[in-house]
Amino acid sequence: MSEVNMPAHPPVLDVSNLRVAYGARTVVDGVSFQIHRGEIFGLLGPNGAGKTSTLSAIEGLVKPKSGRLLVDGIDVQEEPLDAKARLGVQLQSSSFQAELTIQQIARLYGGLYGVKLSREQIGTSMRAIGLEQELGKRFKQLSGGQQQRLALFIATIHNPLLLLLDEPTAGLDPQARRGLWRRIEELRGEGNSILLTTHSMEEAQAVCDRVAIIDHGLLLTVGEPSELIDKHREDPRVLSVAHGAPTLEDVFIGLTGSEIRD
Amino acid sequence: MTNARVDTARPPMGLGMRSLLRADTIVMLNSKTSLVLSALLPIVILVATTFGKGQSRLGGSALIVGLALTLGLLTSCLLGFTLALAHDRDIGVLQRLRVTPAPNWMIMTSRLIVQVATNLIASVIVVIVGAIVHGLTLNVGQYLLVIAVAILGAAVFLAIGQALVGLIRSTNAISAIGRLLMIALLLLGVLGGTGILGDTIKEISDWSPVGALMTLFSDVLNQSAWSGQDTGSLLACVAYVAVFAFIGIRWFRWESR
Repeated sequence: MSEVNMPAHPPVLDVSNLRVAYGARTVVDGVSFQIHRGEIFGLLGPNGAGKTSTLSAIEGLVKPKSGRLLVDGIDVQEEPLDAKARLGVQLQSSSFQAELTIQQIARLYGGLYGVKLSREQIGTSMRAIGLEQELGKRFKQLSGGQQQRLALFIATIHNPLLLLLDEPTAGLDPQARRGLWRRIEELRGEGNSILLTTHSMEEAQAVCDRVAIIDHGLLLTVGEPSELIDKHREDPRVLSVAHGAPTLEDVFIGLTGSEIRD
Repeated sequence: MTNARVDTARPPMGLGMRSLLRADTIVMLNSKTSLVLSALLPIVILVATTFGKGQSRLGGSALIVGLALTLGLLTSCLLGFTLALAHDRDIGVLQRLRVTPAPNWMIMTSRLIVQVATNLIASVIVVIVGAIVHGLTLNVGQYLLVIAVAILGAAVFLAIGQALVGLIRSTNAISAIGRLLMIALLLLGVLGGTGILGDTIKEISDWSPVGALMTLFSDVLNQSAWSGQDTGSLLACVAYVAVFAFIGIRWFRWESR
């Protein structure tokens, strides 16, 4: 992992006291964190913890009950389209129009982000992600790994300040997962900041500069993976689930509990 | 990914709209069902009614062409557009578009423009075929009026479809209710309009979406003088558009869950 340039710039993302509710059910309850330029930030939590709802609020898909969300200093609720122009998004289950080929999908989303792409530029980009042979294919005709690579390409088509990845490696084989981690590192090297949600502690430790653990809508702890292990090393809940020296997964399970979530 | 970071200001609306229109047009052209519903089905009716006593039973050539036009609009808007929208909502296409800087109205307007344009082209084809097989002679003014009524008809059925997909989240339920609604509207407009179900049903039929549109289409094709019934039909259509569009926009949900 490379050094994160924290003090030179204001945060790329500033989430302050975010609260999201669906009807009477509060799913995100007073969450606050910041992401800095060039930082990869992981949001960890069991199913239903509030990860995707937090992302949805940042993406402008759900309206928070309260709190403030600033993307590069722009209020997401007051100027949603300006904020969205600065975001790249890969949803948990991205789907593109079934009738469009990959080339047509790239042209559509390029246009929506203000990027005019020629046939040659699209071909070059697809070659870079190993999809040059699939240009005329439709999204559903791609393998899972190819779909993820295309979804990530579309999310970064305008080289966004902040990239939001919702469980980007879910369902991928180890090769595809490693490939995606490399791509995430490259994106950070190009100056992008990244917020990703994941269930994988291995992924969090491999690619994230800092992680936050969230459960029942509450942010339980934030820090570098090694910091979190040190911080909670003596916590009885962590010790009770650790087999030997505590790992990030032990901290995660210790703080969020062992019961299986749907 | 493009190498240089693009200007982080909001991208130009024109480019976004053109991109959406291009994509929606490709989707429409690749959607065989929509084209069949828009043009082929009405043409089948036009040809089928040239045999036997179909013409006189259904009220003459102009009314048959009006029926074919209305049926094309009804099926392509109420079933084609509505189901495509519900399906895209279900599988996350709409969500993916909504996280871009394209405003919601732009995403929906692009779809509506492409749908209405398809209906207009299909309507002109149906009228030309109808005029040939049923021996109608039409002038340019009548073609223009047919286009105007087709826009109104598309608006009526798109508004009803929008309300349907706005109020109901399940794609399967929308499919089932849409089909039932289509059959009910057709039976009311066509059978009710003949008077065989009684005067009260005929009165209701004349004011129903299908009945009102068939009145307008047949009067345009017959070159009839503007009548009070035409005014009533026009107002009824405008009212349907206003009410159902309001419901469809006010209660539309972008997510199926």
